[in-house]
Amino acid sequence: MSITKGDRLEAERVRPRSRSPFRSRTAVWAAAGLVAVLLGFVLLSLLIGTGSSSAARAWDYLRGDPSARADAQLRLAVLEVRLPRTLAAVLVGVCLGTAGCLLQAATRNPLAETGLLGVNSGAAFAVVLGLTFFGATSSSALLLWALVGGMAASAVVLLFAASGRTAGSPLRLVLAGSALGATFHGMTSYVLLGTQSTYDTYRYWTIGSLAGVETSDLLPLLPVVAVGLLIALGCARPLSALGLGDDSARSLGHRPGRVRLLVAAAVSLLAGCAVAVAGPIAFLGLLAPYAARALAGARMAAQLVLSALIAADVMILADILARIVIRPWETPVSVLLAFVGGPLLVWIARSSRLSTAGAAA
Amino acid sequence: MTASGTHPALTPPDSTVLRAGTLSWLFPRRSALVAAFLVPLILLLITLAIMASSTGMPLSQTLSGLLGTGDPGTVMIVREFRLPRVGVGIMVGAALGIAGCLTQTLAGNRLATPDLIGVNEGATAAVVASAAGSATGMVGGWWLGPLGAVAAAVLVVLCAGGAGSRGYRLLVVGIGVSTFIGAVSDLIMSRENDNTAGGVFLWAVGSLNGRDGSVGTPLLTALLFLVPLALMAGQRLQLLRFDDDMAACLGVDLRRVRAVALALAVALAGIAVGVGGPIAFVALAAPILAQRLSGPTRVPVLGSALTGAALIAAADALGRVAAPVELPVGVVTSVLGGPFLLWVLLRSDRTTGKA
Repeated sequence: MSITKGDRLEAERVRPRSRSPFRSRTAVWAAAGLVAVLLGFVLLSLLIGTGSSSAARAWDYLRGDPSARADAQLRLAVLEVRLPRTLAAVLVGVCLGTAGCLLQAATRNPLAETGLLGVNSGAAFAVVLGLTFFGATSSSALLLWALVGGMAASAVVLLFAASGRTAGSPLRLVLAGSALGATFHGMTSYVLLGTQSTYDTYRYWTIGSLAGVETSDLLPLLPVVAVGLLIALGCARPLSALGLGDDSARSLGHRPGRVRLLVAAAVSLLAGCAVAVAGPIAFLGLLAPYAARALAGARMAAQLVLSALIAADVMILADILARIVIRPWETPVSVLLAFVGGPLLVWIARSSRLSTAGAAA
Repeated sequence: MTASGTHPALTPPDSTVLRAGTLSWLFPRRSALVAAFLVPLILLLITLAIMASSTGMPLSQTLSGLLGTGDPGTVMIVREFRLPRVGVGIMVGAALGIAGCLTQTLAGNRLATPDLIGVNEGATAAVVASAAGSATGMVGGWWLGPLGAVAAAVLVVLCAGGAGSRGYRLLVVGIGVSTFIGAVSDLIMSRENDNTAGGVFLWAVGSLNGRDGSVGTPLLTALLFLVPLALMAGQRLQLLRFDDDMAACLGVDLRRVRAVALALAVALAGIAVGVGGPIAFVALAAPILAQRLSGPTRVPVLGSALTGAALIAAADALGRVAAPVELPVGVVTSVLGGPFLLWVLLRSDRTTGKA
């Protein structure tokens, strides 16, 4: 190639060679790498556990070794315990990564995280209500309470954000979310102050864990997640336009307010499912979009895909570590997420590439 | 002194030029009005907060206690027990308000509250560690909170290695570090018995219970030192409203202003959280409300302090009369502060500032 890199960039800017959202090689390689890592983690997650079934035996089972297949305990460990957890981790990761990326783009606010729409505080409040007044204790009952509460809270936030003359403005969305989130948080504290017994169960719920998740709990969530992801993909282009500012987006034929509310609805669906499965983990929805922006630059579709993959990778890694750090006990996954993700976020923020991506206020 | 606008085009619309011979002063009309409205309001709220209690106390008795003209018993109750507590609350509110104003202005982002720099998590971790380390599960001395908060913030600053553009790097690193510290607290807590957990929970909700003169004096000393500095930093931050290049052209040393403003925010928020616990929402809401009051052209440092103080005083008073049990101030600020902020914002339906 005799063309210099600068010339090639110039040519691409004038005449895009393809319509693919992944025009940059970095993003494609990053996505491929993340998928490979994810597959590796999924395999590890099926092999490693807290129980007595060894990794070697689990490997035999996965290969289809007849003697391993006949072992009922092994089957239980791999299919009934580890597989649901693995699916749950990937599901939660994809949900939070996508939702965080959408929300940060829609509010044009890099500090926005998935709990901002009141999903987390609404879910927590509903769980506390369920525990205190309705005697809900089983994990699937709590999951239902969390899901309904998170959705209800974010619906209220969206109604506020959609009302008035400045409907759908980013500031309105952010402030409505913060304000109502604080209200739910306060009400949760109020109920908890009166009932000591609830507080202990709530403590363990809020700390988050994927232990004890069953496939039957996950299945009803899949359609909700699918709808959220479809909206996310459909919104990639309008969101790119919003990145140029509302006026430019309008002149390109988009309706900024409407796009924002639609996106926020998708965020509520995705974040609601994540909270229901794993408790209120807000941090991942902030970390993944940051990392994705560092890799993908300004391309929205690439950001969404990378953000989902990164979050899934981090989530499943945290869950694997949760099983082995203090064997034979479980560590709460949110704690390990912080131990893995905290330093990761610091490292990304210190890398020079983000100095531009983070400043979009 | 005569008020005159010799250059009406150059005088900000919310100010008046006061001249006396060769001296002149740009008098901020609107901000002065706001302060003139907020200060009596706070005094009224203080009186109400002292009145409000489960035992009840009529207004005349409260006033006589405050002025020292009542019977000795009343004077003692008012001056020794209730006034110090309300005073501490007001100082905590003011500190939170200013800290929030500084960080929000710096980042140009309404979500950039001081709790992102790790003060809440740091204070909580220190308190949790003290409770876990003690045999009784009791939370240790009041100075643990501020110590933990400032230590966490120093750790954040060290990890960030600079504020970055608009302070963003510091804020993001702050999120990472405070999440990490929070996880450590969670880990300690998950190993503790329920007694300890209950004590820590009460602290973590944000409560002024048992906060009295012993905390008040160091708190007041710190504020007397920090608030004037914050007011000066606010003057400089006015110029950051434009973009960085413009500010640099106007002769602002950006790096220094950012560093100083952040340091002040950390110190103020750390002290406030350490004393009052992580009282939710005041640092977010006070600057927004103050901005509404003082108009879009100013950095409302003083206004945020007054608004924060008013919010906490009101929440403290309400928390004592609203329910059969006394509600911690943090619960009241979150439950009622949220709708109040929404009402203020949605009533006029104008957006100021950037999100």
